[in-house]
Amino acid sequence: MSDRKAELERKKAKLRAIREDKDRRRREKEQKDAEEALQRASATSSLDSRRDIDEMLSSLGVAPVKDVLSSLSSMTSLSPPQTASPDASLPHTDKASLQLQGGPKKQPQELQVVFVQSTDIPPKETVIYTKQTQTTTSGVTELRDVLTFDGDVARQGDDEEAAFHGKLPPGILPHGLPTVKEVQPAVTDAPVEKKDEEKEKKAVRELSADEKQTIMLSAEFQRFMSRAGRVIERALAESVDIYTDYTGGGDGENALYSKGDDKSAARLSLVRTFEEERWSRGRCVTCLDWSTFHPELVLASYYNSDDAPHDPDGVCLVWNTKFKKTTPEDIFHCQSAVMSATFARFHPNLILGGTYSGQIVLWDNRVQKRTPVQRTPLSSVAHTHPVYCLSVIGSQNAHNLISVSTDGRLCSWSLDMLSQPQETLELQHRQAKPVAVTCMDCPQTMLNNFVLGSEDGNVYTGCLYGQRAGVTECVEAHAGPLTGVSCHAAAGPVDLAHLYLTCSVDWSVKLWSLKESKPLYSFEDNGDYLVDVRWSPAHPALFAAADAASRLDLWNLNRDTEVPIASVQAEGGAAFSRVSWSPAGSLVTAGDDRGKISVYELAEQVWSPRHDEWNKLVYTLQELRNNQADDDAALSPPPSLSSIASIASNPLR
Amino acid sequence: MANEAEDTIRKLSTYKGVVGVVVVNGEGIPIKTTLDNHISVQYAGLLTALVDKAKTVVRDLDPSNDLTFLRIRSKKSEVMVAPDKEFILIVVQNPVE
Repeated sequence: MSDRKAELERKKAKLRAIREDKDRRRREKEQKDAEEALQRASATSSLDSRRDIDEMLSSLGVAPVKDVLSSLSSMTSLSPPQTASPDASLPHTDKASLQLQGGPKKQPQELQVVFVQSTDIPPKETVIYTKQTQTTTSGVTELRDVLTFDGDVARQGDDEEAAFHGKLPPGILPHGLPTVKEVQPAVTDAPVEKKDEEKEKKAVRELSADEKQTIMLSAEFQRFMSRAGRVIERALAESVDIYTDYTGGGDGENALYSKGDDKSAARLSLVRTFEEERWSRGRCVTCLDWSTFHPELVLASYYNSDDAPHDPDGVCLVWNTKFKKTTPEDIFHCQSAVMSATFARFHPNLILGGTYSGQIVLWDNRVQKRTPVQRTPLSSVAHTHPVYCLSVIGSQNAHNLISVSTDGRLCSWSLDMLSQPQETLELQHRQAKPVAVTCMDCPQTMLNNFVLGSEDGNVYTGCLYGQRAGVTECVEAHAGPLTGVSCHAAAGPVDLAHLYLTCSVDWSVKLWSLKESKPLYSFEDNGDYLVDVRWSPAHPALFAAADAASRLDLWNLNRDTEVPIASVQAEGGAAFSRVSWSPAGSLVTAGDDRGKISVYELAEQVWSPRHDEWNKLVYTLQELRNNQADDDAALSPPPSLSSIASIASNPLR
Repeated sequence: MANEAEDTIRKLSTYKGVVGVVVVNGEGIPIKTTLDNHISVQYAGLLTALVDKAKTVVRDLDPSNDLTFLRIRSKKSEVMVAPDKEFILIVVQNPVE
């Protein structure tokens, strides 16, 4: 007992000593700080500091600061501005100081001009990217769940088990610590019925309304209904009466069947229309896109509807062109009107939409939700203006989502990480004037370039990545805002990826080349605003153009450049708003501003190209160039027939 | 949401020529139907047995195969059955003239 007391006493004494030590040290430090502060306060006047420094320097044998400074300034005025390399000035100061040591007077210096060889090697530009993955906001608890198995109900042994699990190889004692658990009873669908079965005979059994309701509300049932419902709908829509008797005389359908293909004028015929009572009525179609994995699926995005203010503003529907069912495959909606939408080209289940608020939303058709699963932030990091252009460019392993908003901001996103863009680019042309982009397209083979159409009627071309990222060229294209830009899409033996078409509200479609700043040709057959123009993905000389008078034109440059080869007028008086081709090139879809999408089928000989079409197109382009040169020469007095680029005056076109 | 399932059933029953839609659970008891009760029960009982038989036919011929759709065409109507693991969707339709 006494020992312990003594020990305690000793410990207390030690503690006291340590505490006193600490106090002492603290006091000393405070004193020192106070002294330093005093010193600093006293030394604030520059003269004092300078005097100190001067004393220090003179003690070392160097001229006082004042003199050196004055000599430096005199030197800079005397010698021409060299590359301000410190090497040049130092030898002078030394000289000056040596001279000045004798007397404090300023003397004219003996100066020499020393040319310093300076070479500027720009660093090698490597375009790098970092990849991050956005995960749902979940804490460490979820990780723990992943580590432990489902059977673990007891949570106390969690830490140990998790640690234990990491050390053991899999297969041996999977739970770490062996636990004894009851065998769970087999889960059946409706355990209530089991009891009923014992009571009643094997006759008709009834379920109460409550039981039925519980079954109907279960997730299993919902999934079953969506699956089976889809299958049955397709079967119902296809139902053809296989017992129809043709000997009894032909009715309307048979007649059409027999001479359906005769009409040569039916180059472009309306096959079907897609419209949905609830979700597409009264909404303007803002974008159309086709899936690469399932070429029969077409995605349509819609603007908001004035008749249904309580419905969500933005709607995206996926339609199936293979089956005749009249309802969409998938319905998605979001809070803000969707201005552009695209299938994620390299991911079969994702659909992306760019909205009016500047957000980019991501839907997934694997989950049963109709609302987006991911969204980009609504901040100045991303877009704050409507996103009119959205496209996935790149290859399977290295692809990015490019989005352009109307304030001239281009963002490049990674599909895994939508919480911040990988890169942002302010699209400006020369005088820091942002480009108000309305449409965008990328040439097929030149993946780093893009072509933009803007509200001021100009076309801007530029690069996406690299040193010269941004807008590089501006071409004055139209007299009004551009509504559509389309780069040549049909790949063939000849590289025609430098061709692109533009259409605008000035009633014309123009054909351009990336290599030239003047249009190759202008198509003036329309009498209303042109809303969209698209090259065919299969035929190199074929393109479709739609205008606001609900007229859809099909042009074939190899046949005729003055008039379209086929033209169809949609009834109903609704103006078209978007045009798109199916990936095979056999169908053209046109969306209008009432929410209806019309699918037109092309006759075989119209849409499928022969192998000489590419060469014919090159020839046609050459002819167009020659004609234009002739016209220009005829118009302008100076007889310079040399090249089109040299002609300054604008052609009448 | 139960609404979507009910919407689907309603939509199917408004298709041209469709007489009725019955959803049957694994026991052969109709859960939701647009027909009269006793007709639904009849359909449910008879078709459940038929679906089981058809399943055995398909699987006996090829064990890796499974029944996905059954369509019975009769003189006056057509019955389409879409079986699943636990439920069966039955649609009765008059042929389109």
